[in-house]
Amino acid sequence: MRDMSFGQYYPTASPIHKLDARVKILLSVLYIVFIFFVPSYVGYFVTLLFITAVFMIGKIPMRAMLKSVKGILFLLIFMAALNVLFYKEGKVLVDWWIIRITDKGIDFAIKMALRLLFLVMGASVLTLTTSPMELTDGIESLLSPLKLIKIPVHDFALAMSITLRFIPTLMEETDKIIMAQKARGSSFDTGGPIAKIKALIPVLIPLFTSAFRKSYELADALDARCYNATKNRTRMKVMKPTWRDVIAFFVMAAFITFICLDKWYFHGLDALLVEFVRSII
Amino acid sequence: MTAVKLDNVKFEYSVYGSGANRVLDGIDLQIEEGEFVALVGHNGSGKSTLAKLLNVLLTPTEGKISIFGMDTSDDDLIFEIRKRVGMVFQNPDNQMIASIVEDDVAFGPENLGVPRDEIIRRVDWALEKVGMSDMRRSTPFKMSGGQKQRIAIAGVLAIRPDIMVLDESTAMLDPQGRREVLSVAKKLNKEDGMTVILITHFMDEALEADRIIVMDGGKIAIDGAPREVFRESSKLKEMGLGVPIAKDVAERLFENGLPIDTDILNEEELIDRLCQLL
Repeated sequence: MRDMSFGQYYPTASPIHKLDARVKILLSVLYIVFIFFVPSYVGYFVTLLFITAVFMIGKIPMRAMLKSVKGILFLLIFMAALNVLFYKEGKVLVDWWIIRITDKGIDFAIKMALRLLFLVMGASVLTLTTSPMELTDGIESLLSPLKLIKIPVHDFALAMSITLRFIPTLMEETDKIIMAQKARGSSFDTGGPIAKIKALIPVLIPLFTSAFRKSYELADALDARCYNATKNRTRMKVMKPTWRDVIAFFVMAAFITFICLDKWYFHGLDALLVEFVRSII
Repeated sequence: MTAVKLDNVKFEYSVYGSGANRVLDGIDLQIEEGEFVALVGHNGSGKSTLAKLLNVLLTPTEGKISIFGMDTSDDDLIFEIRKRVGMVFQNPDNQMIASIVEDDVAFGPENLGVPRDEIIRRVDWALEKVGMSDMRRSTPFKMSGGQKQRIAIAGVLAIRPDIMVLDESTAMLDPQGRREVLSVAKKLNKEDGMTVILITHFMDEALEADRIIVMDGGKIAIDGAPREVFRESSKLKEMGLGVPIAKDVAERLFENGLPIDTDILNEEELIDRLCQLL
């Protein structure tokens, strides 16, 4: 069984892996926001180059990248289809029954699909190169200003990391319970879908009972290790941004500048490109 | 100095519909600093409750408990007491907080606000003590029970307690894991002078202690050095507890007419006595 507590984390040593988790979270947010401003196909092509470069620097294999895309493939096609079928503006190409396909509709659908695709690829760079522990620490650190308005940020972060920590334990427990119930003659893979769901009840109930029992024991263990002894909790691992983070920041800044220029200065580079190609011909 | 002192301690909890259930019924007990005490008793004898009273996870219904002179019923002293009394529980999986060994060990001192350099020093020291230094950056998920439990001990050690309570910490382990945990406990007692309270139902483990306290029905039934305690083997058997295997063998040989001295504890002594008979 795979160690699920690592999620989709792909452990290897790369410059991207070594970035400060907080910087990675912030840059990912920036990327996700600005991906919505990309106006042209030229822009999307540059985005593709950019994200491919990030994957290559992060030493993330193609396989992992494709896997992250595969999850949203259905959504992508579904959304594109809706856009193509129901976009009303533009020159009508096909008009049949309630379906009206326009050139702008196709254009919009392709751009929307590309946007979503690059968004998911960008977001998966974060989860592929940052371990859940680093991610939790990063989120805690980023949210720490909220402590000023008495929000127990650390408690949330601890709850999050304990959740991650208990995923493999509970998976193991589930396997054990399934085997125990099988030994008593229950069957999990016969019958229709309703019968299959019903067969899960004798697994879920002991699983919940055991989860509650574990949580009581864990609460005792937290108390025994002086949890909440002081408000001035210290940390063994301190996150410190390095020169790598500065470089990453500038690379992202360059990318964002390009998108902004494309959108607000050139008003979409596609038209310029078309003109350029025409002038050559 | 007296590490632990219990004065007529009673503990009861109420069960819905059936009134109060008395778990501890007037315990008087004194444990000196540096002692290695084994607390034995079958299920429901109150030994785990007693352990939880020692680091204020519970407070007694009646009576008084003091840890190095600090009263456990004083709310201001809770963390002061928990700092002095470290507790390792039964299931290693349910007391791990972090997914990386060193993060888990650092959890206690982080909670206490120990400066960063000192935390690192403590984590190094604690992992060294339990012999898990090589594993500090691994995840405990795939480790053996004995290794996990040693990490749990390191997590408690990093708080730098004076008393270590092992609440059935060997119960879920295989024989190899039990030996590992027990030898760590012995080392802490002998080399660092730590007071160790080992709660167990394995008599062969209790044998390693300097003093055995036998609990039965919420009371202390026998309290003394291992040899004295095991002399009362019939009483132990009545309480549903066994005696060490060597002792059991000797007694059975005696019952079957062999004139062997049954006042023994371990295999070496048994071999000695048997050789004397030849």
